[in-house]
Order: sequence, then structure tokens, then C-alpha cells
Amino acid sequence: MSESKFRYRAVFSKNGDMRFIGHLDLQQLFERALRRSALPLRYSQGFSPKVRLNLAGALPLGFTSTAEMMDFWLEQPVEPPLIQEQLNAALPTGIRIISVTEVPNDLPSLQASLKSAEYEVSFKAEIDVSAVNANLEDLLNKPNLIVTRRNKQVDLKPLVEALHWEEDKLYLRLSSSPEASARPDELLALLDLTTEQYDIQRIGLYYS
Amino acid sequence: MTLQTELESLLYRVEKPGRYVGGEFNQVMKPWGSVETHVALVFPDIYDIGQSNLGLAILYDILNRQPDILAERAYAPWIDMETQLREHNLPLFSLESKTPLSEFDILGITLPYEQIYTNVLNILDLAGIPLLSNQRGATDPLIIAGGQACYNPEPMADFIDAFAIGEGEEVILEITHIYQAWKRSGTAREDLLAALAKVPGVYVPSLYTVSYNPDGTLQAVIPHSNHASSLVVKRIMPKLPQPLTHFIVPNVQTVHDRLSVEIMRGCTRGCRFCHAGMVNRPVRERSVEEIITAIKEGLAATGHDEVGILSLSSSDYTQILPLTQKIYREFKDAQVRVSLPSLRIASFSVELMDELKELSPGGGFTIAPEAATERLRAVINKPLDEDVLLETARTIFEHGWLNLKMYFMIGLPTETMEDVQAILELGSKVYKIGRSIAGHRVHIHLGISTFIPKAHTPFQWYPMDTPENIQTKMDLLKRGARQAHLKMTYNLPEVSQVESWLSRGDRRLGAVILQAWRNGAKFDAWSELLNLQAWQNAFARVGLESDFYTLRQRSLDEVLPWDHISTGVSKHFLLTDLRLSQAERTREDCRNRCYNCGILDCFESIRPAQEEVYWGCP
Repeated sequence: MSESKFRYRAVFSKNGDMRFIGHLDLQQLFERALRRSALPLRYSQGFSPKVRLNLAGALPLGFTSTAEMMDFWLEQPVEPPLIQEQLNAALPTGIRIISVTEVPNDLPSLQASLKSAEYEVSFKAEIDVSAVNANLEDLLNKPNLIVTRRNKQVDLKPLVEALHWEEDKLYLRLSSSPEASARPDELLALLDLTTEQYDIQRIGLYYS
Repeated sequence: MTLQTELESLLYRVEKPGRYVGGEFNQVMKPWGSVETHVALVFPDIYDIGQSNLGLAILYDILNRQPDILAERAYAPWIDMETQLREHNLPLFSLESKTPLSEFDILGITLPYEQIYTNVLNILDLAGIPLLSNQRGATDPLIIAGGQACYNPEPMADFIDAFAIGEGEEVILEITHIYQAWKRSGTAREDLLAALAKVPGVYVPSLYTVSYNPDGTLQAVIPHSNHASSLVVKRIMPKLPQPLTHFIVPNVQTVHDRLSVEIMRGCTRGCRFCHAGMVNRPVRERSVEEIITAIKEGLAATGHDEVGILSLSSSDYTQILPLTQKIYREFKDAQVRVSLPSLRIASFSVELMDELKELSPGGGFTIAPEAATERLRAVINKPLDEDVLLETARTIFEHGWLNLKMYFMIGLPTETMEDVQAILELGSKVYKIGRSIAGHRVHIHLGISTFIPKAHTPFQWYPMDTPENIQTKMDLLKRGARQAHLKMTYNLPEVSQVESWLSRGDRRLGAVILQAWRNGAKFDAWSELLNLQAWQNAFARVGLESDFYTLRQRSLDEVLPWDHISTGVSKHFLLTDLRLSQAERTREDCRNRCYNCGILDCFESIRPAQEEVYWGCP
């Protein structure tokens, strides 16, 4: 796209109360933050022009993250540290830009090239972590892990790419491509663990 | 566990948890211990509805500018969140610091419409605050209320400690300062109420004795304390203050999610059915420069891409054409949409129409004839020649609009079935004009609401039309609209019924509201949640006739429940206007000629001397 002008990629964190803001609302939040930042924004063409931005891999409601990504376009080049500063000043508490880099315009979209995501699971004090560890091992020894999504059967087993423990925290790397993706809470639900018993933070997004 | 962490675990179980967490851009968050006085501003409906309320946003700003005061926000939780709070025995809390409402010094509740009253009770109950004013003690918050519904405060008198009548910008600080002095003095709660009653515009219902005649009508509402005034006159701002620009920007989708700029307060048209037009006098305008600056600063501070221009009748703003031209020039490259509602036919030009089309591409056009015959329009004092209306419609279509919405009321005084039928005929004529110009893409939309005779209007003595009549008229319109290819939407007659009881009621309705809430009534403005049975049972249980309040012609010498509250417009004026209506005679816009409505008698002394402060009064 020759008319795309200057493309930037921001890595940002989402935590605190902001974890209760959903993906579509986050899109709106960034549109407005970009407008407040007074950066020379690139708008979409058409009847009601919108700020051009793309977010990758919707973060489920209630998860925090240190590794979200957004692409956006500017009319003129601006130094990335300056973009970071201006954007952070325009964002509500709980969302922070960690880095900004200029990226080539011909890169595929974030959403299309997302392959997998890594999560850190912290368990609440009342949970016996060693029991979770043992149960998880048994679970993963099964030939398949079938869950039902909207009346459709999905096998989670091939979607678990990596898993390890550090102290009492569980690290899970799960497939997150447009074709096949898994959520850590789906896996934990197979161990009868519910959302009140742990906190999940996304700590990495991986692209092809 | 702290309330904060307990709440967090609930948020995973409710729809749209972003409603309950606050943390939006431009939120003000002061350390709790850093201020003397804590005020919770409460909108008694869900966040999605209440967040955009301009009145509360203004008060939030005024209070938080004070170094010794903090203001936080609270809304009604939706059904799912209420269930969670009750199951876990958690109190209702403020969005900013997640503090239980019972720990605030003052709760300021806005009452913009009547169908929100049961939600007030539900909120107090969820907060663990005694519902009845006379059951509150020294440690309970002071409960104050303001807003458009408070011009008849009586139905909520049992629950509210003090009402602020009229515009709240000044009185909110006066009330808070009196509260601070009282708290420092450590005296009894009665002393606080007595001190508040002395403030102009503040109504403390517990200081009045209400007596009734044997036929159930009011005998008198008389103060039994020498601190209270026998007539509480509303407050106004002689000059509109600087418009607010640092609006809180919601993180979740809300209704009216845009930058609001109020260009004018009040209306000089004198439509006889219109509560807002009577109670919000005099007309005061902001200057074009002030408005343009507010839009610029507001857009920069919020990042909104839509601006809503607020007023009761935008096309009556004296500088409307210069304003829209200037808005267009300033913002045409800023990717901003501007909507300008409340236009009046015959008071705007083709030129203005073209400006509007540029500012809000793709939008529809709305006109509000309210009645479809010239006779009935004379009765309601909204005169408009049908030829002018049809010519305006033609111009609207010729200028490229395809969607035209027309508002009408049914149940107006003296209305006949011919008047109702005429709505369809007028709609059809407009549709034919549209078809002849723009073909089948034209859509005509009828918006039908039920007339409620409102307090402080010339129609306040009239009964409401019976539910049976309203139903017959609605059915006629629904059938006819289908046949005539007109789209039609309407207010549910049942929702209007609750509104009519509560807007016309006296102090005895407090018991009905309490009982209706106990019977399960809440969110009465939500047609899918309205529980009319709960209300009917409540009337029966309390031993009152609902028809007494709505279906009875009130005699002209009857003491009305709101007679001790003054909007500045005299009863004599309302009565004269009623008689003119009965003679089918109109009065022109009172900017051109003063009809001595009482506003100037009331507020002449505070009218700013400077020419540049525009008042609509001659």
C-alpha cells in the first residue's frame, strides 16, 4: 500500500482495572488516546474516516498483559521515543506503552501473522500448587483434551506448545493462530480450576 | 480481603465489567485522607446511561476543583451485578476509590426523570443507608437530590434530606460548606437540615407539614420551622459559566458517547406542553467564541470524534448560522462529526441545512411538529403552517436527506380522533413528497409519545388521556403507519403511566414508591423490566387511587403538590396561558414581546448588566 505512509508498532501493557476492558472497547480507547496525543495521525478513507490502527490477538477479559501489540500509521515520521512519550501521556492508568518501533509497510497484519502466545498463571494462596502440577501432568498424558466451544469439539492437546513451572507459577505457551488457538483458562477448567482461583498474565506474543 | 479484591472476583461473573471499575481518562482521584469532605455523585441508572450526563459532570468538576473536597461517582448496578453484590453481602461502592457509599459525607443524587425513583431506593438499600430520611442518624450520609424531576419533589420527599431546586452550579458548594461547618460543630442532624433550609433554592421536605381535605386533595404545605420558606424559588446562573471540557472519557461503550457542548439554556417558544421550556427560563446564551474554544479544548482533552451541540431549541440560538459556519471552517479537516438536534421548522434556513449536511454526513433529519392539525398546534402553542412544513420537507429531500423523523404526541388536551388520523395523513404527504424527489430510498419515521400534563406548565390542571383511549389511538397509528409505508416507534403507554403518577403525585406517593420497590419494581424506564403489576399492587396496598393523580381534572383553585416550589414563572401566567389555549390562541416567541411570565420579577436583580451576556428576555 503506497498510501500507507509511516507504520509504527507499539508494545504495551494492560493491567489493573483495565483488564476488564474488552477488545472492541480497547480499540476505541486507543483511537481516542491517539487523537489526544496530537500525533499526525493517518485516517482511513471514506464516509466516516477512522484512525488507522490494528490490534493483535484479543486479550480475554480479566487477563493482564505485558506484551500486547498495536500497529498504527502516521502521516509524517516521528521519533519513536517521542511517540511513546506523547501516547503515554494520553493513556489512562493501567495501559502503558513499553516500546515503539517503525516497521515496514509491507509486513503482514499483526492478527494474520500471530502464531502463539505465552501466559503466566499465578495461583491464589489457597491453591495447592503441587497438586495442580501433578494433575496437569496426568492430564497432558491423555491422548487428547477435548473441550466444547459453541457446540464444536476442539482438542487442546496439540495446541499446548510448551509448559513449565518457575517456583509456584505456571508458564504456558499456546497456539494462537487464526486457524487454531487455545486459552489457558480452558486448560485449567479441565482441572476444575475456576477464574477466581488464579490470575493470568500474557507475557509474550509470537509471530511467524 | 479488601472490598477492592472482593469486587474483583465478582467482575468475572458479570456482563460488561468495565462499567464498575472507573479509571477512565480525566477521572479525578484524590487520596481519601487528603480532604475534609467526601461527596458521591449518583446517577440512579447504569453507567452506560448515566456516564454522559452533563449536569453530574459539571458538579464533579466544580467539587473536585476544591482542595478540601473530593467527588467520586456511583451508578445503579445492572441486575447481574446487583445479584452478585447481594449474594456476597457487599455494599454498593464508588467507581474511583471503591469506597462503600455509606462512608461518604454527602450523596448527591440526580433525578432527571421520574422512572428512576425506585432505583434510588435500591441504591440506598445496596449501600446500607436507611431509606427514609427520618430514620437516618448522625453517621449516615446527607442525601441531597437535584435535576429536572425535582420541580415536583413531593413523591421523593420521604427519602431525600434536601432538594436543590434549579441549576446546581452555585448551590452545590453552598450546601457542602454548610455541611462542613455543621460537621465541625458536632451538633445534631436537625441543625444541619435547618441550616440547609435557609439556603435559597434548597427545599428540606421534613420541615413542612402537609394537610389534606376530606376529598383527598391538598389543603396546604406549610413550613413548621422558621428556617424554611413557604415558597422555595429555584436557582439560576445569571451568566452561564465556562463550559466543561475535561470530560471523563468512558472505556466502555455508552449512550451519547460524544463531546457535549451546551450553547444555550432555556427556551422562549412557550410550547404549553413543555416542562423543560417552562422550568428552565430565562434563555441565556453562550457566545460563539466561547463555544468554539470549548469544542477545541474538549476535543483535545477527550479525543472524541463527535460533538453534540446541546440546547432545547438549537435553531433559536441567535448566532446559529455564524456558529455552524465557524464550526465547519474550524473542524472540517479534523475528522469530527457535529450533531445539532432540536431544530425548529421555520426558524432555520436552507443555508443552515447545507452546513448541517456537511457537519454530519449520512445523518438523518428530525422535525417535531408534535401535533398534526393547525387547530391542535394552536392549542399547544406550536403554531406552524402546514404549507411551510411541507415546503421544509421538500427542501430537506432536495438537499439530499433520505431519512426524516417526525415527532408527535398523542393524548394532548382537546385531541380528537381526527387529530390522530391527521398524523398519518401528514406523514403520507411528506412521504409522497420524498418519493417524488428521491424515490424509494426515502424513509419517513414517526416517533409517537404520550402526553403527560406536567407540573409548572399551563396544562398542569388537565387530566391525562385514559389508557384505553391511548391504546385505541396507538392501534390506529400502528395500523395506519404500516399501510402508509411509514416506520413508527413509540413510548410504551405503561412506561408513561409510571411517569405520570410520579410527576403529578403528592407526598403520599412516597409510601407507594417504597411499596412498589418492595414488590420488585426497579429500572422502570426500561420497558423490558417495567413491572406495572408491582405499582398497581403498591397503590392498592397503600390505599391510594392512581387515577386520582392522573385521570382527574384538577380545579383551578386546588392546591397543587408543587405549588410551594417556584420556577420563577407565576401561576397567574400559566392560568392566562391555559385560557388562551382553550380559545385556540397562540403567543409568539417571548423574545420579541414579554408576556410577563414572572421570570424578570424573580431574577431581574441578578441579571448581568453587561450587554455581552445574552438573556432572551427583552
